[in-house]
Amino acid sequence: MGGIIFRWEEASEVPAVIEEQAALIDCYSGESDSDPSQLQTVRSSEMRNLLKFCIVLMAGALIIPFQASGQDSPQADRASNSLYNKLGDTGSGGTAPRRDLTGFWAGLVEPKLSEVSPYTPWGQEQARLHKSTGDFSVADSNDPAQSCDPLGFPRNMLFMTRGIAFAQMPGRVLELFQYDRLWREIWTDERKLPKNVGGDTADAPDPRWYGYSKGSWEDDYTFVVDTVGIDERSWLDNDGHPHSGDLRVQERYKRVDHNNLQVTITIDDPKTYTKPFVITQANFKWIPQQDFEEQLCVPSEQAEYLKVIGDPAAHGKGQ
Amino acid sequence: MQSKRVKYFAMLVAALTVCAPLFAHHGAAAYVDKIVVLKDATVTSFLWANPHSIVMFDVKEDNGTVTHWAAEAGSPSAISLLGWNRNSLKPGDVITVYIFPAKSGNPVGRLNKVVLADGTSLRDSQLGGEKKSSQ
Repeated sequence: MGGIIFRWEEASEVPAVIEEQAALIDCYSGESDSDPSQLQTVRSSEMRNLLKFCIVLMAGALIIPFQASGQDSPQADRASNSLYNKLGDTGSGGTAPRRDLTGFWAGLVEPKLSEVSPYTPWGQEQARLHKSTGDFSVADSNDPAQSCDPLGFPRNMLFMTRGIAFAQMPGRVLELFQYDRLWREIWTDERKLPKNVGGDTADAPDPRWYGYSKGSWEDDYTFVVDTVGIDERSWLDNDGHPHSGDLRVQERYKRVDHNNLQVTITIDDPKTYTKPFVITQANFKWIPQQDFEEQLCVPSEQAEYLKVIGDPAAHGKGQ
Repeated sequence: MQSKRVKYFAMLVAALTVCAPLFAHHGAAAYVDKIVVLKDATVTSFLWANPHSIVMFDVKEDNGTVTHWAAEAGSPSAISLLGWNRNSLKPGDVITVYIFPAKSGNPVGRLNKVVLADGTSLRDSQLGGEKKSSQ
């Protein structure tokens, strides 16, 4: 700690997750902190076997979560701060009303994400420029969210997804979000999606952080939304995956019963990714009290946070 | 060697099934992965703020010097689900702080939890330790 003597002591009961996290680092490095002197004597064939263990387990770790039903995954356990987890099993609540999503729904703060498709050369170059807070301190990250810039769509469906609501009205469906208290308009009238957003002509519509969306009922319980025209400055997700202005997103909302809503989100961006892919399949639960909390990214409070915590945490005597 | 390999296997299974998502979590890159305990910490201010709440407190060293700390926690809507409220901490409260300190060496960090004088434990929403602590 850079020579500073703090009056602290290491926790006598360090949560198991911390020690296990250290073990994960060992797996990546092929080292052990439990007995390094012995490890040096391990024959190379045994080291290869150890690495095989690591590879197999890493593969398992990537596959198993995406086969889980959603609410019992390790990631769900970690997000213990979500209303979604607090609600537990809310049951079906009976049959869903026909062609109706109206109401307030709780979601996992960070739904499970699947692997993205391989990048195109352009996509690779964009990805290289994005410094996410998973890899960098908040002070060194260039995540637009660190300055309270809009998350944009679909990132706001993949990160800080604390609650969504739907309000249906003639010609459109409004989708409302707890985080940042914002909304999207989803046209359900005869309008068509614009084709030349951000183009060179005078009549080309502007790109939008939340794009242009059009929805329709595929059947009595499945509402399908297509979105285009999304501002390239937004990140696809919290990991900093990029997208281009050519991005098309499709959401398929399936109301399973009164209390349960599922969404599948598909990414199609041929400028950035070599093929379309499903980025998440997420579940939402009916919120019994049908209310949101207020949760905003407040620029002045975020600036204070960066000054008091973010910068000192990233740059200091130990660096 | 066999027992050692079994040990590795058990550690890896535990790590990969429990901790991989936490390991990559946003905002945690600046902090060491070990909790330290700061006893007899005197709260100087508590910012109930978005997107991060901040606890500031003083810790007196054995040599008499006082170190001023700042620790981040989750947003009000996140940590209120874990029992916090805007009045949970007041200036002058003496608490015990469990914290992931910054790698930089500065006296800042991410809370694991605080323990109040009456023994009440308040955990953070992001790195609050044991699973299901909020259940």
